[in-house]
Amino acid sequence: MFKLKTLVLAQITLAFAVCLFTGCETKEPKPKADIVIWHWMTDRQAAFERLADQYFKETGVRVVFETYAPTDVYKNKISAAATAALLPDIFNPMGDRREIASYINAGFIADLTEDMNRDGWKDIFFEKALAQNTFEPGNEWNVKPGIYAVPLDVNSLMIYYNKDLFTQAGLDPENPPATWPEFIEAGKKLRAANIQPFVSGFGEGWLIGAFAQSYQWNLFGRQGVLDTIQGKIPYTDPRWVRIFELFSEMRDNKLFASGIVTMVNKDAERTFATGRAAMAFNGSWGVNVYQSMNPNLNYGVMMPPSLPEAKYPLLLFGGEGSSLFVNANSPNRQKASDFLRWMTQRGPQAQLAKETLNIPSNREVAEDLPPILRIFSENIKNTFEQLPVIETWQVINFININLQSVIIGERTPEQAAKEVQGEKERQMKVAK
Amino acid sequence: MNIFKAKKILLDIVTHGILISVALTCVFPVFWMISSSLKTQEEVFSSMSLIPQTGIATWISNYRTAFVEANFGVYFMNSVFYTVVGVFFIIFIASLASYGFSRLQFWGKSFFFYLLISTLLIPIPGVFVPLYLLLKKLSLLDTRTGLLLCYISNGLAFGIFLLKGFFDELPKEIEEAALIDGCSRFGIYWRIALPLAKPALATLVIMNSLTIWNEFLLALVVLQDKAKMPIQRGLMVFQGTFITDYPLLMAGLTIATIPIVIVYLLMQKHIVKGIAAGALKG
Repeated sequence: MFKLKTLVLAQITLAFAVCLFTGCETKEPKPKADIVIWHWMTDRQAAFERLADQYFKETGVRVVFETYAPTDVYKNKISAAATAALLPDIFNPMGDRREIASYINAGFIADLTEDMNRDGWKDIFFEKALAQNTFEPGNEWNVKPGIYAVPLDVNSLMIYYNKDLFTQAGLDPENPPATWPEFIEAGKKLRAANIQPFVSGFGEGWLIGAFAQSYQWNLFGRQGVLDTIQGKIPYTDPRWVRIFELFSEMRDNKLFASGIVTMVNKDAERTFATGRAAMAFNGSWGVNVYQSMNPNLNYGVMMPPSLPEAKYPLLLFGGEGSSLFVNANSPNRQKASDFLRWMTQRGPQAQLAKETLNIPSNREVAEDLPPILRIFSENIKNTFEQLPVIETWQVINFININLQSVIIGERTPEQAAKEVQGEKERQMKVAK
Repeated sequence: MNIFKAKKILLDIVTHGILISVALTCVFPVFWMISSSLKTQEEVFSSMSLIPQTGIATWISNYRTAFVEANFGVYFMNSVFYTVVGVFFIIFIASLASYGFSRLQFWGKSFFFYLLISTLLIPIPGVFVPLYLLLKKLSLLDTRTGLLLCYISNGLAFGIFLLKGFFDELPKEIEEAALIDGCSRFGIYWRIALPLAKPALATLVIMNSLTIWNEFLLALVVLQDKAKMPIQRGLMVFQGTFITDYPLLMAGLTIATIPIVIVYLLMQKHIVKGIAAGALKG
């Protein structure tokens, strides 16, 4: 009993001391920041801070970068801060265009069109990166046409291939497969040499969807993609069935690495980096990832192989990587915009690219990149075009799930296409 | 050896085999964490072995870098502060409230009890926005007090639920005897009910210590000042958008795990006692 009493008394004393401490808590003097930026890019914080120091020396304006990660938490913080009217000077709502539009329409995001037009700022960027931050006239969310964000970097998704494993299987590492039949044949040869041909984080819906979308553009072209979203072309169209068939064809020819349907991209990256798969569908950030996992990996990159019957060019998932938005209600709005202008100029962008191995949004800097990254940056022009409408997330989800179902043989391509069309019709009814 | 003895030995082998495999499955992640904290990034991906090939210089460097880069010194003290104070107030308020719900008769008792318990069903991310607004109105955003209040209110419902069940089971005769001897109602709570509830309190201490020590979603939403962030914020430094620095992350995790393992080991015997006492009482 004595021990318990002593313990409790000690705790009460501690608690009182603590209450005193917290009760008398004065707001600690914040670092005097002229511009506050909330971001989620933990791996770039050090580089950002160095740039902020440089900017302070050059202009006397103090910029503070604050990291909040993972992105789910960051997103929650942004939405809470928006509701409480406590958004920082620069941020990113981390949503699709529909969500971004709601922030713009609510008056949280500044229109940067005027700033972008001044002194040709907008001309330094990759067009695709800027297009994704631009709302065109007649957009479905009724956002005032204009440019609303500044892209910091860009990315695209291509197929990495292991040159050593290609050689081992008797394939020419300098001439990777360019067409679908060549791709399947290469896969067969790799499998015959006891090498897993293809890996990707297809357990993450968006990656399998990104791979399929390249073929949607390949078979349908811009108007066809648009017509599908608008419900004029059904998902049961033979071209969509063909897209589902591509996955069953890969499965039947044993191209997939084991467990691909449940594999997250981190595992897929490890599989490729450790030489346990010959090809990997991944983004340009993979260069940085593979460098950290296996600096001696001997690899190249290639476009996803196009279909011989396709009438349109095969396009890639990608474009804008990370962008930053300016708070429309910030008293430092102009300072924030000026800082972003400085940050996207040649010097700071080159520094960022060097330290983080990302493709900078400034096209001029992209010319100085290492060879593999340069291939990615050269293909930014081949990324999907920005459309005035987007498919609902429910339908996108259905496509991804059905692609996975096809891989595991749960559904035939025809059944999968029918399932997606069913969901599309449901969503169209809801929209009406 | 007769057939019964042989059967017993066989049964023992099978039972122990199963128990050892389950135990290994449980401790493997811990071994992996410690082993990875002593490797280089390349080795984490290229070697499946639990025994690191690196020398002591790498081990020291990993732990030193993790401690310095993640600013663990500040975060560690913050976490100790949040955990000690948070757990104390949860236990203090929950024990008083649960004793009241268990022994006192007042209007709306059941209604308020179930209302309180129903808050267990609300997931934390679901209340981020209202919580943020409330803290803003109270001028408690970006303050230690604000975060502590969140932690305390978060732990109360379960604490009250658990302790009320425990107090309900205590024989009323002991308390009646104390009343006859002239003990006040608070005296009964303080001198009789609370000491008897030690096993339940120990369980609550461990559970809430674990929750508060490992929590960082609320901290990230409520706080902005890095100097007030808990230890889990330090671990975030090693998890990039695309790249995770596993050796440093695992070294950081090992450092962050030690205090909570100590709390668990200190409290473990009370839980075992509690279970035994419960069995005898039954």
